[in-house]
Amino acid sequence: MTAALLDRATLAEIGALEATDDIEFGVRLLANTPTHESRDHDRLRQWARTADEFGASLAHVAPTARVVESGDGLAKGLLARYTSRPVPTVELFTDTLALAEELIDRLGWRHWYPAGSVREAAIAHEAVHEQLHHGPAKSALKQSLGHVVLRAGRHRLYGHVAGADEIAAHAYARTVCGLGRSPLLLTAALATVADPQQGSPHGREK
Amino acid sequence: MGVVILLVMAVGVAAMLTRRLPTAFALTILAIVIAFLAGAPLTGENSVLDTVIQEGAPALAATMIAILLGSWLGKLLDETGIAGTLVRKIVEFGGDRPVVVALGVLAVSTLVGTVTGSAPAAMLAGIIGIPAMIAVGIPKVTAAGTILMGIAAGMPFELPIWQFFSTALELPVDTVRGFMLKLFPFALAAAILFVLIETRRRGVEHAWSLKSASAKPASRRKQLGDAPWYALLTPLVPLVLALGLDVAILPSMLAGVLYALVTTTRPGEMNKRLLRTLYGGFEIAAAPIVLFIAIGILLAAVKLPGAVEALEPLIKAVSPQNPVLFVVVFTLLVPLCLYRGPLNVFGLGAGIAGVLIAAGIYPAVAVLGIATSYNQVFGVSDPTSTQTVWSAQYAGVTPQQVMLRTLPYVWAVALGGFCVTAATYL
Ligand SMILES: [Zn+2]
Repeated sequence: MTAALLDRATLAEIGALEATDDIEFGVRLLANTPTHESRDHDRLRQWARTADEFGASLAHVAPTARVVESGDGLAKGLLARYTSRPVPTVELFTDTLALAEELIDRLGWRHWYPAGSVREAAIAHEAVHEQLHHGPAKSALKQSLGHVVLRAGRHRLYGHVAGADEIAAHAYARTVCGLGRSPLLLTAALATVADPQQGSPHGREK
Repeated sequence: MGVVILLVMAVGVAAMLTRRLPTAFALTILAIVIAFLAGAPLTGENSVLDTVIQEGAPALAATMIAILLGSWLGKLLDETGIAGTLVRKIVEFGGDRPVVVALGVLAVSTLVGTVTGSAPAAMLAGIIGIPAMIAVGIPKVTAAGTILMGIAAGMPFELPIWQFFSTALELPVDTVRGFMLKLFPFALAAAILFVLIETRRRGVEHAWSLKSASAKPASRRKQLGDAPWYALLTPLVPLVLALGLDVAILPSMLAGVLYALVTTTRPGEMNKRLLRTLYGGFEIAAAPIVLFIAIGILLAAVKLPGAVEALEPLIKAVSPQNPVLFVVVFTLLVPLCLYRGPLNVFGLGAGIAGVLIAAGIYPAVAVLGIATSYNQVFGVSDPTSTQTVWSAQYAGVTPQQVMLRTLPYVWAVALGGFCVTAATYL
């Protein structure tokens, strides 16, 4: 089915994605996250780089969450999802993962994303969310981003940078799964061919 | 004849339910049919043309102006970045604890809800608030519900609503305010419990979404800087004036408009911004104003002597006078204010409230208690009301999912409202 989807225009679009560096995908992710509407590109890029480095340097931990699979990821526009209740669970969307694997073959990206690595990356990615929600890594990430929101004498209060945890999760997955490029490049390529019908708030306007 | 009128009302509800007719049109037609059934003449005293249409249509004029001012203020909160700044600050300060973010957005929704209710309030708080909550891991249904519960918590202090109940039920604003102050703790407690319980029950959720790396920024909203901190107090200005200093509703709201303007806008741009946001406000206020015209017409029809005479014995027969029974019956009837049902206060419910008062079945304050309690349910859970539909869809879930999750909480608010009513006014 992707053969039909990979027309010349789509290939050109994906070619442009391929030429974009991994940090820039992090910038796009931040730019798509609410609360960053008025921030300039340089600042977002600095945050994206810091979050990426932070995620890449996170200690490798074995994922503990339960893994379940379902098949309606393309309709929802999702690759994977982490939910903490009732028990920490990683939901893998098999249809999106299958499309990802197929796309990797078609595009000749196998040297970046070895066979089965997308699934592995999804589990690793969601494991970071678990770590960032329940472990000390959360405040460490905040410190390293250095977004000061309040200063009183020598004391500084660091603010939360929405979306940084997502970049860190992708960087961690890239590192521990030995990927050649960020999962965000693959995500962007998938988005150009999958064009999910149903959306999250992103992309809608009042 | 009373039975025929009730049957006509049932047909009207069916027309609204099946969306064959927009609510405002259905109510107007209903009013005219009721007036004829009640034996009203075409013109003259207590007539269809002069009393029902000519006097009924502008009866809620003060409410319409209040709605317009609320929409104007809402537009200003949006355009000057005040609403956005509030949400951004909350995420920056509390972002690593999702429950703190949800409580903060709840507080913003409550404030915004006091200024302008329903859909404009949902958009104002939700456009940034919903994706911000989702970005920190709040599940979608909880995110949509938080906005709606917040707006409903602000509803007891929503000045246009005070104006509406004061005019529609012919009660002084003081009386309306007095009851709303008693209803507010229930609404607030339910909203806070919703956030605390639902975030605990549902935990956090993070999705690896296909859209996360898209090149087009999700929001093409104008790039707004932060509004200064003192501008963020804008929603409190009308409240402090109307609640604390007893200033009338319309001037209180105008003061809010002026405060937002002078704290955010350079003198040279004030005129332009005022006009632009005012005209934008008209657009937002159009739908509710049309509805209030229709409600005024319906109220005039059910208050016709002929209608009161026909309906009084019927309604008296089914209206509980015993306080305990009163609470039980009206609590059980809560679902009837959903799906454009007959007890929806912004529909046929207003007419029923009018009959209850005109026929002297309950004192007007007790009817106020019934109507405002139902309004708390309707404002959050009705899957056909604009704010619920908007919030749910914007969060990417269905209005029914939001209804099921929020209904237990707002049902409890209504129960609280009925208890207060029965204890104080029966
Ligand atoms: Zn993630």
